Amino acid sequence: MTKDKLSYKLGKILKSAFAAAILPIFVIYIMIAKPDYTIMNGLAHIVLPVAHWVGDVVTWPVRIVGQSAKWVRETSLLRSENEELRARLDTALSNKHLCDIAIEENKKLEKEIDIKHASPFKTVIADVQFDDTVFHHTTFLINRGSKSDLSRGMVVVSFDNRLVGIIIDCGSMFCRVRALTDADTNLAVRIAGTDISGFLQGNGKNKSFIAFFSNPLFVGRKGLKIITSNISGILPAGIYVGNMIDDKQVDVLRPNQISRVMVLKYNNIDSYK
Amino acid sequence: MNNLKHLFQKLLPFLMTIFLWRLSANWWNPVGILALIPIFYYTFVKPVNWFVLFGALFCFLIDYRCNLPLFWTSIFCLFYAINGFQNYIDITHTEDNALYIFMLFIGTGIFILMFSSFTWVGFINNLWLFVWLSVLYTPITAIDKWIRK
Repeated sequence: MTKDKLSYKLGKILKSAFAAAILPIFVIYIMIAKPDYTIMNGLAHIVLPVAHWVGDVVTWPVRIVGQSAKWVRETSLLRSENEELRARLDTALSNKHLCDIAIEENKKLEKEIDIKHASPFKTVIADVQFDDTVFHHTTFLINRGSKSDLSRGMVVVSFDNRLVGIIIDCGSMFCRVRALTDADTNLAVRIAGTDISGFLQGNGKNKSFIAFFSNPLFVGRKGLKIITSNISGILPAGIYVGNMIDDKQVDVLRPNQISRVMVLKYNNIDSYK
Repeated sequence: MNNLKHLFQKLLPFLMTIFLWRLSANWWNPVGILALIPIFYYTFVKPVNWFVLFGALFCFLIDYRCNLPLFWTSIFCLFYAINGFQNYIDITHTEDNALYIFMLFIGTGIFILMFSSFTWVGFINNLWLFVWLSVLYTPITAIDKWIRK
């Protein structure tokens, strides 16, 4: 069909007339159907899904590429988010560990304060600084000294009220303590539940022995409890020293088993050498 | 193979319209408005049989999605009627695939929309749409020519 033919021209005019005629119909419809536009919306409810479906078919390669790009981007975002969350988790765990440690330390301190208050003597809490075990001597340093009113001869016990040693030298900020396993240790002790006394001596090699029982016929045995004796007033009586593990050897606390101690302000400065 | 190619060429206007309408994306192709390019092109510049109804239908769908009842459909009908009644300009033989007339077509619609409820943000959005559609008109119509070769 050429453009010069009458039928073509007529057809074109008719189509244009139809298009022109439909405009006022649209205007009237928009005016009267407002705000529901029932017919228009009803038509869209049918046409739109169909057009969407056809559009999905036509554009699937492009959408697959788009979805893949989106997936890659989301994966990348998830990875970076994951890394950030891991870092946060690590920080949170680190903080939790600090909190746990603080809670445990707090419990320990509360217990120590309770023990300190329950003691019949004035006490000073001190940390063990250095374990100076060498040759046949076993001494250690604690971080409290004469500034805390500590002096030579005071008794050092653990927090379960077990004898640890005797202070033999005092600086202003520290004290040197002789442990029970030191070769120079020679303390009057008693077998708990009896009147039998003896002397506790160290061998400088992490062991302590009891000897010179007041009853020469007495033979020690495993399981007997040894406590301090107040003979000559050197030590307060009744402090738990340890259990016998055979007929002579006593299981005492060694410096490497403790990190914090209590010093009992028991004045025997002239008695202990 | 030739039949397939011929079929593809026949379906190209319809496929291109659906393609551009369906790939709607904020900012680059809101409510699939880029479909106005093939609708205009295959209605006025390279008329295809029965495409007018298809174009009107997709104008209607664009209107529905952007909640402008029969707006672009009316503009389309108005331009169709004006074009049919006049013989002063033959759009099918206009230079640049009738780019300026397309700009007039979309410009009319955008101008009415812009001043029906003026805001500066809306003004910038509409300006962007006008420029974007005008810029893409030439490459999209060039694709048609390239495929028909």
